[in-house]
Amino acid sequence: MKKTWLSGLLGACSALALGASLANVPDKEPVRFALLQDFTAVYTFLTNEYNQGQQDYLRLVNARGGLDGHPVEALVRDTANEPQRGIEAYNRARGEGAVLVDFLSTPVSRAAVNRVLEDEVVMITPLHGRGDASHGETFPFVFPMMATYWSQAAILADYIDTELGGLAGKRIALVHIDSPFGREPVPVLETLAERHGFELRAFAYPSPGTEQSATWSDVRRYRPDQVLIWGAGSGQQVSVREAIRNGIRPEHILSVVWLAEADAEHLGKHMTGVKRYEAVAPGRELPVIQAILDEVVAKGEGSGPEENVGSSYYNIGVATMAVAVEAARLALAEYGAPLTGDTLRRGFEQISNFDAEGLMPPLSFSATDHQGGGFGRVSRWDGGAWVPVTEWRSAYQDIVWDEIEKDAAGFRDGR
Amino acid sequence: MFYRQSGIHHTRYAATRKLWPLAADRRLLGGLLALALLAPLLLPELYLNSYLAPWLIWTAAALSLTLLMGIAGQLHFGFAAVMAIGAYTSIHLARAGVPFELALVGAGLAAALIGCVFGAAALRVKGLYLVMATLAMQYLVSWVIINVPAISGGAQATLATPEVRLLFIPLDGDTALYYTALGWTLSCTLLLLNIKRSSVGRALVAVRDKDFAAAVIGVDPLRYKLLAFFTSSFLGGVSGAILAFCYYQAVTPEQFGFNVSIQLVAMVLVGGLGSVIGAYLGAGFILLLPIVLTNLLAWVAGLELFPVSFNLIAHIPLMVYGALIIAVILFEPLGLAKIYDNIRKYFLVWPFRHAQR
Repeated sequence: MKKTWLSGLLGACSALALGASLANVPDKEPVRFALLQDFTAVYTFLTNEYNQGQQDYLRLVNARGGLDGHPVEALVRDTANEPQRGIEAYNRARGEGAVLVDFLSTPVSRAAVNRVLEDEVVMITPLHGRGDASHGETFPFVFPMMATYWSQAAILADYIDTELGGLAGKRIALVHIDSPFGREPVPVLETLAERHGFELRAFAYPSPGTEQSATWSDVRRYRPDQVLIWGAGSGQQVSVREAIRNGIRPEHILSVVWLAEADAEHLGKHMTGVKRYEAVAPGRELPVIQAILDEVVAKGEGSGPEENVGSSYYNIGVATMAVAVEAARLALAEYGAPLTGDTLRRGFEQISNFDAEGLMPPLSFSATDHQGGGFGRVSRWDGGAWVPVTEWRSAYQDIVWDEIEKDAAGFRDGR
Repeated sequence: MFYRQSGIHHTRYAATRKLWPLAADRRLLGGLLALALLAPLLLPELYLNSYLAPWLIWTAAALSLTLLMGIAGQLHFGFAAVMAIGAYTSIHLARAGVPFELALVGAGLAAALIGCVFGAAALRVKGLYLVMATLAMQYLVSWVIINVPAISGGAQATLATPEVRLLFIPLDGDTALYYTALGWTLSCTLLLLNIKRSSVGRALVAVRDKDFAAAVIGVDPLRYKLLAFFTSSFLGGVSGAILAFCYYQAVTPEQFGFNVSIQLVAMVLVGGLGSVIGAYLGAGFILLLPIVLTNLLAWVAGLELFPVSFNLIAHIPLMVYGALIIAVILFEPLGLAKIYDNIRKYFLVWPFRHAQR
C-alpha cells in the first residue's frame, strides 16, 4: 500500500517535470525575478495558471539565450496570502538579489509597498494591489502595468454606453463582494452616473461569496438593465448562476477581469453570452504562445500541465513577464549590467507601444503613468471560447486619474 | 545535575515564591535574555526582521490570549478583532499627533473597552455559546473597519504607520523595532508570570475551574471574568499596535481577519493552555513552521534529486503542518509547554532517575 502510494506520488511528480533549463545560456550573472505568490489559500483559482505562464515565458527567454546573455531566474515561493509569510519571502528574495517581485496578492503587496519603495525593488501589481500605484511619481517602484479596476469599470461602462444602447436613463447594478476590492469601482461608476445620467446601485454580498442568494433577490427587485459582477474565484460562478436564476439574461451580465474558461466549464450553457473585461488576449493562436509551445512545451520543459497553455490566466502571466523582460532588456541596453531595481524601473518607464506581438493592447509607461494607459477590451463567451466584441480601448481616463491622484495624494500625506 | 537542587534551602516565603527558585533556571533565562539582547548583532537582517521580531510580537498576542483562555478559562475566537482595534486606534492617534506612548495606551484602552462590551456576554454564556459571541465580535469589527473608510483609510483600505518616537528614540530600522517588540513581549511575560502567582491569578483559575464553586468561596465570578476580558483585551490591543508599528508598518483589514483569530487560538492550544512558555512555543510553531517548511521544501526541490511540481511543493508544508498539529494534540494534549516540562523534569533528576519515585 505504502509503496504504491509513494510510486504514485513520484509518478505524479515526474509527469509535471520541473527544473529550469539554463543549458544554452552563457554564464553571466542571472537576473532574478521573485514570484512569491499564493498557491494554497485565496488566489488559487488563478495562481497555478498565471505562474505557469510566467515561468514558461522566462524559459522561452532563456532558451533563446537570455537577456543579452543573462539568464532570467524565477524565485518561486508560496505565501498563502499571509502578509507575514510574504514579508519573509520578500526579505529572503531581496537577499538573493531579486530586482523584481510579484506577489499576486492584494494583502501582501499592500503590506510590501513601503518596503519596496525603501529598498528600491520593482514590484509589479498586475490586476491586484493598489490602483493608485499607477501614480509613478508617488510610487516610483510599483507598476500596476495593466488596467486598474477603475479603468476596467470605465471600459465596461463605455461599452454599455457605445454598444449596448447607451447609459442615459438606464439602471445599472453593481453586484460586488463586500471587501475593499469589491468596492473599488464604486467612485468611478458614481462619477459616470452623474455625467451620463444613469442610475447606479451597488449590491454587496458577504465574503467569500459562496452564498449570494439574498443579495440577488434584491437585485431582481431592482430590475437592472445591465449588471456588473465584481468578485473573484468561485464567487463569480455563484454570481452568474444566481443572476440567471433571478431572471437576468446572460447578455446583460458584464464581469470584471476574473472570469475565465474554468468558470464557463462549470456553468455550462448558462454562461453563453456573458461578457467580461479582458486585459490580455486568451488562446493559443498568438505568436508568443506558439513560440512557448514550440520551444518550451514541445521539448518537455513546460512548468506545468500542457492543457493550461493559452488559458486566460496563463496568458496574463505570460504578458506580465513579457513586459518585465522587455523592461529588463531596455534597462540593460541603456544602463548596462548589473541590473538593479532602479535601472529596471527606468527600463519600465521607457516601454512604449509594447504589445508582445498582439498578446495585449500596446502598453506605454512613463515616469508618471505606471498603469500603461488603462487599456483592455470586452469579450463574450460564445459557448466554447472568449470572443472579443471590441477592439483594445481605454475609457474615461480623466475620471480614473482623478481617483489615482486623490488616493496617491492621501498616500503622500501618510493617509 | 544541570538543575542542581541540593543545597537550596528556602528559609523565607519570598525565596520560595520567587519566579525562578532554581539557580539553573535563572542561568538559562539569563543566557536566553543575553542572546535576545544581542540578536541584532548576532543574527543576519533576514532572521531578525522576518523571524525573530514577528515571533516575539505574536508571542505577546498569544500571551494576552492565554491570560483569557488559559488562566481565566474564557474562550475567545475573535482576538484578531481586539488586535485590530488596537492597531487602528494607535495609528489614528499617532496621526493626530498624540505621542506614541499615549497612543499605545489609547490602543489598549479602546481594545479593552470594546472587548469588555463583548466580554459582557461572557457573564451570561459559557463554552460554545461564548465562542459564538466572540466570533460575532470578529465579524462585526471586520465589517465596521471595511465599511467605514474613515477607519480603514479610504478606497485602498491601507494605512501606513506614521513615523513615531518611543521614549525619544525614533522607531525606524530593524534594531529599534526589534527592541520595542522585545520590550513589550518581556513586559507581557513578566506580567503574566506575576498574575499567575498572585491572588488575582488564583481567583481567575478558580473561576476557570468552576465559576459557581468560585462564588461559594467568595470570588465574584462576574468581576473576575470582566477583569480578565479587560486585561487581556488591553494587552491584545497594545500587541496589535506593536504589530502594526514594529512589523507590518502598513495596516489593512486582512491582517486581522478570522483566520488570524484561529491562528492565535491554535498558538495558545498547541503551546499549552495557560502556560507562558507555551505561548512562546505555540507562536513559534504556528507562525514560523509553515515558513521554515516552505523554505526547506524549496531547498530540497532545488537539489533536483527528482522532478516535482511547484504546486506539490507548495502543498506539502500544509500536509506536514497539519500532521504535526494533530501529532502534538494527540501525543501531548497539554501542548508544547508540557513537552518542555517533561524534558525539564527528566533532567531535574538526571542521571539518578531512580531517585524520583
